Order: sequence, then C-alpha cells, then structure tokens
Amino acid sequence: MKLSKSKVNQALDMLAKEATVLVPMIVDGVSKFAPWGTEGKLALDIVNTLLPPKDALFPQTEKMYKYKVSAETAEVKEITDSDKQVVFGLRSCDMHSIDCMDAVFLTKGYVDNFYSRKRENLTTIAINCTKSNPTCFCDSMGVDPNNAASADMQLIDIGDAYVVEARTEKGKAVEALWQPLLEAGEGTATPISCELKLDMAGLPAKLRGMFESDIWDDGYQACIGCGTCTYICPTCYCFDINAENHGQEGVQFRCWDSCMFSEYTRMAGGHNPRPSKKERLRNRFMHKLAYFDERYNKNLCAGCGRCVVNCPVNIDITRFIEKVKEVPVNG
Amino acid sequence: MSDIQQELRKTARELLESGEVGYIIGWGKGRFANQTHPIFVKDPAKVDELVWDDYCLSTLAKYTQDDKYPEKKIGICVRGCDSRAVNRLIQDHQLKREDVYLIGIPCSGKLDPETNEPAKKCVECAHRNPVVYDVLLGSPVEEVPQPERFKEVEELEAMTPDERYNYWADVYDKCIRCYACRNVCPACNCRECYTDQYRVGWQGKQNNRAENQIFGITRAYHVGDRCIECGECQRVCPMGLPLMKLNRKMLKDINNLFGAYEAGLDTETKPALGHYETNDVEEFM
Amino acid sequence: MVEIERECSCEKNPLVPQVCQIVEITDETPDIKTFKVKTMEGTKPFAPKPGQLGMFSLIGIGEGMFSITAQGEDYLDFAIKKIGMLTDALHEVKPGKQIGLRGPYGNTFPTEGCKGKNMLFIGGGIGLAPVRSFIRYAFENRKDYGKIDIVYGSRTPADLCFKDDLFKNWPAMPDTEVHVTVDKGDENWNGHVGFVPAFVEELNFSPADTIVVLCGPPIMIKYCAQSLKKMGFADDQVVTTLEMRMKCGIGKCGRCNIGSKYVCLDGPVFTMAELADLPAEY
Repeated sequence: MKLSKSKVNQALDMLAKEATVLVPMIVDGVSKFAPWGTEGKLALDIVNTLLPPKDALFPQTEKMYKYKVSAETAEVKEITDSDKQVVFGLRSCDMHSIDCMDAVFLTKGYVDNFYSRKRENLTTIAINCTKSNPTCFCDSMGVDPNNAASADMQLIDIGDAYVVEARTEKGKAVEALWQPLLEAGEGTATPISCELKLDMAGLPAKLRGMFESDIWDDGYQACIGCGTCTYICPTCYCFDINAENHGQEGVQFRCWDSCMFSEYTRMAGGHNPRPSKKERLRNRFMHKLAYFDERYNKNLCAGCGRCVVNCPVNIDITRFIEKVKEVPVNG
Repeated sequence: MSDIQQELRKTARELLESGEVGYIIGWGKGRFANQTHPIFVKDPAKVDELVWDDYCLSTLAKYTQDDKYPEKKIGICVRGCDSRAVNRLIQDHQLKREDVYLIGIPCSGKLDPETNEPAKKCVECAHRNPVVYDVLLGSPVEEVPQPERFKEVEELEAMTPDERYNYWADVYDKCIRCYACRNVCPACNCRECYTDQYRVGWQGKQNNRAENQIFGITRAYHVGDRCIECGECQRVCPMGLPLMKLNRKMLKDINNLFGAYEAGLDTETKPALGHYETNDVEEFM
Repeated sequence: MVEIERECSCEKNPLVPQVCQIVEITDETPDIKTFKVKTMEGTKPFAPKPGQLGMFSLIGIGEGMFSITAQGEDYLDFAIKKIGMLTDALHEVKPGKQIGLRGPYGNTFPTEGCKGKNMLFIGGGIGLAPVRSFIRYAFENRKDYGKIDIVYGSRTPADLCFKDDLFKNWPAMPDTEVHVTVDKGDENWNGHVGFVPAFVEELNFSPADTIVVLCGPPIMIKYCAQSLKKMGFADDQVVTTLEMRMKCGIGKCGRCNIGSKYVCLDGPVFTMAELADLPAEY
C-alpha cells in the first residue's frame, strides 16, 4: 500500500488524535522533532534535523519522583506519566540511536522504568533517505540509510508517495488507522549511499589497545569542553540525577549530562579520574567507537554527522577514525 | 590571503626554530573547504598545516587558559578580536603579556560556513586590525565604522515589557545549556564557573526556562563591561540564540552611563564597572 | 574468581529509593560515623552480599553510593566519612531521621572463591568499611577460611575506625591476628607507627594459599600492590575495590566507566589481574 504525499498532513492529523506525533519541523529557525500542530514548517525533505528525536524517550529533564521531607520524615512518590507518542519521519541513523538506547536502558541487569514506559508507548515511523549530506557516514557505521530495520513502520519514498511497510503490531495499527487514506500500489526507491566512507573494519578492537597511544596527545587542545557534541548527538545518553527543592517538598529529576564537562567525573573530595580535555575527549571517542561495541556489540556512533557540522571548533570524529586507521598496528 | 598565509608559515617557522615560542596557536584545515579548527603547532616541520583563509572563525586567545604557566612563550595569531581577547585576559590577570608572542593579522572578515555570506560577527566588527601585536603580517586594513552597533538593542528597547519578556522567554526556551558560549568567551575566565559549583547549588541542572534564564542573565551581568564584542558566543551557539543582543544591551547602558566605552582596546583603561570615580552617575543608588 | 550477582530491593523501579530510618548513629572517629538503618517496619532494607553498595540519600539534598559495612538480622550499617556536601549534612542528622535507600548494587567480594584460603585483609582509613563486610562474613563462616590476618592503618590513633573490632572482637577470634599501625602516633600510642605498605612488607606475609583483600586511599592501594608483588603475591591473589563518582548505580548514567566496565555494576570489586586489563583511569 502507499500513502500519497498530498495526504501526509491528513495522516498526521489522524495519528495526532491518539498520540503526540513528533515530526521533523523547522520551528523558529531550529530543525527538530516537534509535536504535530506546533507552529512551524514540516521538513520531511531535510536529511537530518539539528536536534535528534532522542528526547521523546530520554528528555533533557525528566521528573522521577516527588518527595516531601520534614526534620525527621520523608515521603517519596514515583512519577509514572507516560503518554502515547509517535515519531514520524525519523531516519535510519536516529533509529539506530534508539536501538543503542534500548540496549543501555533495557538490558544488562536492570531495566530503567522511566525509559521502558516511554519506549512501550512509542511508535516509530521511519523514512528512507533519498540523498545524503556531505557529512553523513551512517553506512560506514553499519546503518542502512535506505532501511531502518527496527522501526515499527518504514515509509519508502517513491517520489509522489510513500510505500507503507508495517513491521510490528504497532506499525500495523498505524496502517489500519490510515486505511482510508492508503491506495494500492508498490514501488521501490533507488538506494543511496553516503559519499563519506570510513573503514571501520577492526577499528573497535584496534582502539581498545590504543588507550595509551600518543594519538590522544594531539587534537584535544582545540576542544572547548562544551556539551554541543553530546547534546545534539542522537546516541549520547549520559545523565545526572538532582533534586529541585521547594521548601519541604520537591522533585527528583534526571537530566542530560555531558562527559565533556569538567565536573562530570569529579568526586566528593576533589579527585577527578579524567582531569583534562585530553582524557575527556579520549573517553568520548573510545565510548563511541570501542567501549560500547565491547559491551553491546554496536557502534555508539550512528554516522549522522551532527557533531561534525556543529562542533564550534570542528573537532571531527571522522578524521579521528581515519587517523586511527593510519596508526601502525603495533604503534 | 595566500600571501599572508605564506608569511604566517614563514614567521611561525622562524619563531619555532629560534625557540622564541614553544608552540603556535593558529588555524588548520578541516575535511571540508568551509571548515577550519584551532591547531597547536610545535614542530617547525608542520607549520604548513597553518592556514589563513575565509573560514578562520574561531578566536584563539582563550586557549592560553589551558596553559597558564608555559615553559616558553605561546605564539598566537591575533586579529582585532583575538588581540582584544588577549587584552581582556591580561587585564583580568589571567595572562601575562610576556607569556605570549602575538602574530598580528589584519582581517577583512570571514564567511559563515553555512551560507558563505560574511559572518555576522565580522560584519559587526569595529576593530579589524589587531590592537596589540609583536609582529604584523601584511598591512592594516581599513576599519569599518559601526554606527548601528546598538540597533538591535534599540529594537528590543522599543518593545513593551511583555513583548520583551516573551522574546527572551522564547530565546531561553531553546537554550540547551551546552555552555559553548561560556567556554569560548574570553571574559568567562573564572577558575571555576558558578554553574559548575553544583554542590553549592547556585544553578539548577534542569533544563527549563527559569534555570536557562538565570544562566543567561548571570553570565551577561558577569561579563558585563568586560565583553570585547567578538561575537563568538553567538557564533558557537548551536541553537542560534541572539546572545550578543544581551551583551550589547549591557554595553549600551554602560556607554550611556559612563561615556563612550569599548573593552579590550588596551590594558590601561579601566573597565567602567570595575572601578569607581567620584563623579560616577548614581541613578540606581 | 569474582562472580557478579545483581539484585534490587526496589519492587518496581531501581531508581526510586525506599524510605528507611536511621535508628542509631555511632561515632567511629572525629570524621567517621556509622549509621544503622532499618525500614520503616523495622526490618532489613535488603540483603546485600559482602562488598555490595547502597545508594543512600538525604532526600532533597543528595544521593551517594556507600559500601555496606555490616548487616544484621534487621539492619544495615554504613560507615560514612565526612567529605563533601551530602556527608557533611549526614553527619548533622539525629537518630530517627528518615532517609532514602536503594540497592544493593554492584558485584561482591569472592567469598566463595576464597573458601579454604588464608585471608589477608588490608585496610587504610575509611577503606576498612567495605573490607569489614567480608571480615565479618569470614568470621561468621570461620571454618570456611584458613588463617586470617588483618592489617589496618590510619593517620592518627584518633582516626582508627571500628576500635572495638580492632582491639577486642577480632583479636579474640581463633587463628586470627590483627596488626594496627598509624602514620603518626601520640603520647598514648604504644603500637606500630608507619605507613601501611611498609608495615605490610615488615610483616612479610606468605603468598602461599592466601588471598588479599585490599582497600584504602588510591595511593595506599598503589604502594601496597607493589609491596605485595615484591612478596610474591600474583595479581589474581589480590582483590580491591574502586571508587568513582556515581549517580544511577545501575550501569546506565555513564560516568563511572573504566573502559567498557561500569564500577557501579561490574565493580566495585576487581582483582588486580582484572585491573591490569582495564585503562588506568580511576
């Protein structure tokens, strides 16, 4: 079945009756996934939004529980709100980052309930890429820009319409909802690939042996230690937990944190195992390209190119990957 | 420009070979034609990595704060903005003049890598020639007067208080608190920023309008009369927030209250808010 | 040798604490207090294994991960040193204070793998707190372990933690020796004076059939490890615990990683042999 592009607005309206539908939009000059109905311009033709859709599952600030305290007593009440959400029009790279977050928050001993509640209530509708940015390199990271395998529904852009492929129960429910809008028809899109190619073969394993390499001695100096790369990254998931007090009551919340901030690992008493920009940048790149692979068997880089474009000082993970490749194996 | 680039590399090689400087902070080329990044060249054999082109946007003086007790002088490429940042740091006692060797480069402005139009911060620049240097490459360029320095502020002042509140509310609703503005700013040179004193709790880490505005206002007030108008905060902001409007509002008021004032042109003129004179206006007392 | 076991007391959400009560506070040293904690019903909040951690919170002020020093039928003990904002506030509270607790987190000391071995416990300062959980376990299961040696040191005699254990309870146990040292003595101190690593070398323990459990300030661990190596202990005979800044306790929030391991989940207990395979970033 296919959905004519002229009926996308109607399709979104139908979804929005049942859930918050996050769509790529340009809102006040910023491209991001915004609730359908927000004042702004639908932007299904741009390759990547500046802000990824990760906050649908992992909001920048998320309330965890309310509390009341007195001199002696304490009370805690978990916040369990979770509304139905649909992310419409996400790209394969952003779907890959949801796969990464699933691995972090749902496996390895503990399930993170705040995440799992949102995840269960989320439907993902992916659209294939018909072009790539010069900074895109997802296919080098094991992501297929033509197909987001784990999405609930894949839309395939065939020019004037999208071919609809429902892959899960949630996807089929969307297809059923859209039934009045859908027409018979099939079609395929011409597959694309990224121009920027990186050779990742053996790289995670090689990097694991390069913690002490002098490759880290050069390049970190330019870093200004801001959180841009981590906050616009679709896969970065580190968080902090803090309290917001209002007299004798308050809310415990978690919020995005960044491994690039100096106080991120600083302990009570002052010791900091990652005291300078060098150790912090090394940890970020190692986490993306080696540690995560070791733990979850995936690259924690989706190859979306957001950090390459937006780093204020153009620190470029793709050039770093090439540099690692050039290092002799025993070097 | 290529002449200056050649001269820059030659100067850099001489400075490194003679041991006058330990390393040179300049710009190197990125993967794409519209990208450069700050580089730190130690080895005279690598001076050809230094470039001078339309995309040398980053200011460089702040990097001296990562090396406060250098073994040898640090060589820094300075345009007008970088040189004023050097003065800023010297005047704030965060840098010693004798610890830096300043390679002055007159600058006619850079391009925005996204649009290839002249970068906003360069269009608004009032000091294209370095105000302090040890050697000057090329010859001075003509300065461009900035009669509209406070035009954007006047537009804000023309709004009603409610309109203005909504304007800044929208701005700070967008802020993601990456702190790029703070980290790039030569006036933000506190050893430890109040935002990082998380155990004290001045600044909540939650992202919401109130906390974001507290950060924006605190930073604007603390930078205050020390803003050298390099425009880097606004350039690096990933969300494109108009941060210079806030800084220029401070500067406009300072100009009105204390007379014509620009920060970082030298190290002798005391910052308007950083000292007291008996004939200072007292309308807020 | 180290077996990771994970369990969580929170029925629903591992990130939401249960409200518990401090029932007793003991002054150990001028800057260390032991907090005895029970649930509001007067029961044990959860049943940790030796070496595991608990996330202890003064609700509204902050949360911190601490090792569980001891446990009884109906309580958990946390010996906590005053070192920052949370612990400063904690040292001001009175018995009866309700606090938040979640856990237990992390892996455990290899109590099983050490059965039949001689045990050498080495602690410095507050570092005795985590080791004490294993020492108590070993005494509760005394027949499972061979000779037990305990070496403990602090800055001054006043800073010695768990004095009753050190000078009364533990020396009275069968086939057990307790060796105490201080960096700097005072007029009433008749015991050994000197740093722990040198003291360990002086005592010249035999590595035969012996497992070492070593915990203290990083600098002490470093030099003790060197001393032990000199005495012939292999890396897989030495067990230690690591500390990192932690927030979630369940291996999600990111900050306590050493390489691909998370100290809150894969640690805090590591053998020196395991640490040799990890980046030295702690």
